[in-house]
Amino acid sequence: VNRLLGIETEYGLYVEGRGVADQVLEAVGLLRCCPFPAVKERWDYRLEDPRRDMRGFRVEHLSVDPQDAQIEREHPISLSEREARCDHVLTSGARLYNDHAHPEYATPECRRLMDLLAYDKAGEQILLSCARAYQEKIGATVKLYKNNTDYHGSSYGTHESYLLRREVPFDTLASTMTPFLTTRLIYAGAGKVGVEVNPNPRTPYQISQRADFYMDTMNVETLYRRPIFNTRDEPHARMRDYRRLHVICGDANMSEYATALKVGTTALVLDLLEDGWAIDLFIVDPVRAAQSISRDPDGKWLVETDAGVMNAIDLQRRYLQAAQQRFAGRDAETDWTLREWETVLNLLETDPELLGDRIDWIAKRQLLSLFAESEGVALDDPAMIALDLAYHDIDPLEGLYYALVEQGRMQTLVSPEAVQHAVEHPPADTRAAIRGLCVQRYPKQVESINWERIILRNDEQSVRLDLSQLTGDLRDLNRRLTAATDITEFVNLLQSPRRASEPHKEELR
Amino acid sequence: VPTEPLTRPGGDGDGPSKPDVKRPDTNELLKRMRRVDPEQARRYRQRSGE
Repeated sequence: VNRLLGIETEYGLYVEGRGVADQVLEAVGLLRCCPFPAVKERWDYRLEDPRRDMRGFRVEHLSVDPQDAQIEREHPISLSEREARCDHVLTSGARLYNDHAHPEYATPECRRLMDLLAYDKAGEQILLSCARAYQEKIGATVKLYKNNTDYHGSSYGTHESYLLRREVPFDTLASTMTPFLTTRLIYAGAGKVGVEVNPNPRTPYQISQRADFYMDTMNVETLYRRPIFNTRDEPHARMRDYRRLHVICGDANMSEYATALKVGTTALVLDLLEDGWAIDLFIVDPVRAAQSISRDPDGKWLVETDAGVMNAIDLQRRYLQAAQQRFAGRDAETDWTLREWETVLNLLETDPELLGDRIDWIAKRQLLSLFAESEGVALDDPAMIALDLAYHDIDPLEGLYYALVEQGRMQTLVSPEAVQHAVEHPPADTRAAIRGLCVQRYPKQVESINWERIILRNDEQSVRLDLSQLTGDLRDLNRRLTAATDITEFVNLLQSPRRASEPHKEELR
Repeated sequence: VPTEPLTRPGGDGDGPSKPDVKRPDTNELLKRMRRVDPEQARRYRQRSGE
């Protein structure tokens, strides 16, 4: 996978005896218990602009959930914006903070699926350590769930980021990604008991956690009126060269395999776009199509396109076949993705239950069915929602996904050692290593920090390190930076004339 | 950080294995599921996020 990738996850937070009005304070309390070294409360928001739209305009304001706005009005908190955000940048280059009352972990930028999986799982371990420390401090049960809903109509996100070349025209990007993202949930869905929006009692179980909350095909929103294709134009890299595909419609996957397949296939579709390929059809009503697929797990997943009615599996095959023709044999991760994509689509068509060891919505449904049969309860019994939630409990001693892992019933792709390493060490080949080194070695000198810029204090001067062009393989540069003996040498390596003017050949794709 | 790329469908062995939810050792799974507090989902309320 030759592009920068990342996953940011807002975790669900339960603190015994506390309610939604307390959730910001609880999230901050939990984050303040982070036991890992970090640069705190110095995130640089000046380069962020979430209202900028890829379609060439900037919206006046972003929509907010009316119920959530009411909670905020009725229960103001006494923290400053900086205190409430509680930003941490970790030695791995990852970001940990409070986003809208949810502890959020954003992986460092990765270039490989295996790395991304390790950092995604490392996020669970980091947050579990925070939760255990906070629980001990306050003497009440603290639980974290890696999911996207409270089953009462509130959703929170798991977003993916993919850097791509800006030369891909916006219209082509949107028209090719939208049918792909609309149908991707057949293997990327995490499964959910019930329906939260326009409930249908005949739908006890659906494929996706998030589909209920889609309200629009395309827009810049994330908090309300959530779209399938998000148009936020915030590349976190040099604007004139790059876009960032900000995927907000996905579910939080517990399964490593599902995460790898979801990200690997999406990255391949972006490769196709950069190679000049585009899909030649569109889905007539993507929101309705996604919700219809999600709410009919045993259905035929038919979608209406301008070229006629089509099965979601066959629509996915159009992307798969184009990718196979162009990229087969390119590298091991590409071949893994192509092979597993084909296998999964075939099994979804012929015998989906065989995917119960790797696809979350199927694994969860098998687990719930086992319980329903054993205890003589229906799949839509309210107790099933508690089991659904427990699937996403990140505590390996309590969570149901981890019960499956413990029994060898789920395919895992990264070793516990790799995950442990990822808790405190950055990827070797991306700009995240520069951020991580600053946090590890020069925490007191960091004046501000974000994805693309770090300002360090050195010799009574503020030195700006511009990472916005460092999007390629930085293995060699990172080795030299790691070997630097002091901050002056470190800064000089990043500010040499070659570095300051344009990226070196090795750092480009 | 792992340096070897993915070369197999995942996990050990030659490929995906068929899961069987009716295997005898489902007792442990059921035990874990019975420990889940059925009231937890009712109590679980969240602020809306992104």
